[in-house]
Amino acid sequence: MLSRNFRLQKVGDIDWLEKNYGFSNVGFSIDELIVLDVSRNPRNREEFSEVLKTLTNDCFAPIAAGGGINSVADATKLLRSGADKIVVNSALHSNKQLISELAQEFGRQCIVASVDCKQIEDNFYIATNNGSNLTALTLTNFLEQCSNLAIGEICINSIDRDGTGNGFQIELLDCLPELFEIPVIICGGVGNFSHLAEGLKDARVDAVATANLLNFMGDGLGSARSQLVSLGIDLPIFNLH
Amino acid sequence: MSKKQVVVIDYGMGNLWSVASAIRFLGAEALITTDTKEISAAKFLILPGVGSFRRAMEIIRQKSIDQAILQSLSQTDVKLLGICLGMQLLGSASSEDGNTQGLGLVPNEVHKFTNTADTRLKIPHVGFSEVKHDANTKLFSGIPSESCFYFVHSYFMALTPTIKGIATCHHGTEFVAAFEQGQVSGTQFHPEKSQSMGLNLLKNFLES
Repeated sequence: MLSRNFRLQKVGDIDWLEKNYGFSNVGFSIDELIVLDVSRNPRNREEFSEVLKTLTNDCFAPIAAGGGINSVADATKLLRSGADKIVVNSALHSNKQLISELAQEFGRQCIVASVDCKQIEDNFYIATNNGSNLTALTLTNFLEQCSNLAIGEICINSIDRDGTGNGFQIELLDCLPELFEIPVIICGGVGNFSHLAEGLKDARVDAVATANLLNFMGDGLGSARSQLVSLGIDLPIFNLH
Repeated sequence: MSKKQVVVIDYGMGNLWSVASAIRFLGAEALITTDTKEISAAKFLILPGVGSFRRAMEIIRQKSIDQAILQSLSQTDVKLLGICLGMQLLGSASSEDGNTQGLGLVPNEVHKFTNTADTRLKIPHVGFSEVKHDANTKLFSGIPSESCFYFVHSYFMALTPTIKGIATCHHGTEFVAAFEQGQVSGTQFHPEKSQSMGLNLLKNFLES
């Protein structure tokens, strides 16, 4: 798990995850699940696919997975291990050809673009490779080029806020062009339900993402969801039996 | 009693794994196949799929899956459910990349969502959205109208001409979220990804 401004933090292995999460139950607190392989060592795809399979067994919610996707074969492996969508990050900049190939093979709705942004003075710059490689590309410039990329969703993450629990960096949204067609997910910084509400109330946001409430807060997601519903935010209710 | 067997048609497009795993969760057997003999012998058929309408129809015709589906449906107790692109393929045609004929099991056409400065529509339409239904369909039995289901699509099936057992959803325009017309039904949303509501709908399909 990436946390506290992108330092890697270990919360547990797959057995721990299963024991503490029970995704088939947590499923009722979320609309979708994102699972990322953020390993810094060379990634072990076989192992990650097995983890994904275990994690998603009996979880009937949409699942996006990614981390170091370098080929159509990488994506295929995840899609056959329970993923519905593929999250791409570094390849958006280093391998645009791959994005077209993925879209041709699986459709653009299958591709979630993920961008990690770092604020330097008044600009937000995009970093790749788990945030380790700061590029000269600004978020504004990237978003302007997005209509030429075959992607179905975009997840905008703040490296500065990630893991802090201080709330979203809403200013990231000011980088969006006037008519932006691609659904936007904002990510990074959620510490409590009011942060989620702030994101959801912003007309430029289509979805909010958090890892913090899932990983560290007991029933953080369940209680956040019911508090959001009581605030009048329009969320689907899942637990009909 | 032996388990119900559901044939999930594999024409190389879409995530069959999650459809099959939902079917198995509900206690039925899921057979993922491209074999026309198995398709034409099925009692429960699911046509899933995501991606290009044109490419899907090319593969379906090339592998004679269209004929196998029709042959299967000639048995009156056979039920077919199309999911997402699979539902759209049951329509008459799609305006994607020119014009492509569908399987024509319902007369409706498929069009792309259009974004204007007025509608400010996000494309694809993605996420959980409310589905309205007032018809007494088997698919929605026990599922309240305005329940939410998971959608991800850039094309939609038009509401006209009117077909039976329609459920609707709104994304800039009203469109067909689901239908049930005799043996043939379809959902634009993904029941296998719509949590308990979706599982209920699939269960209804298996019990229809």
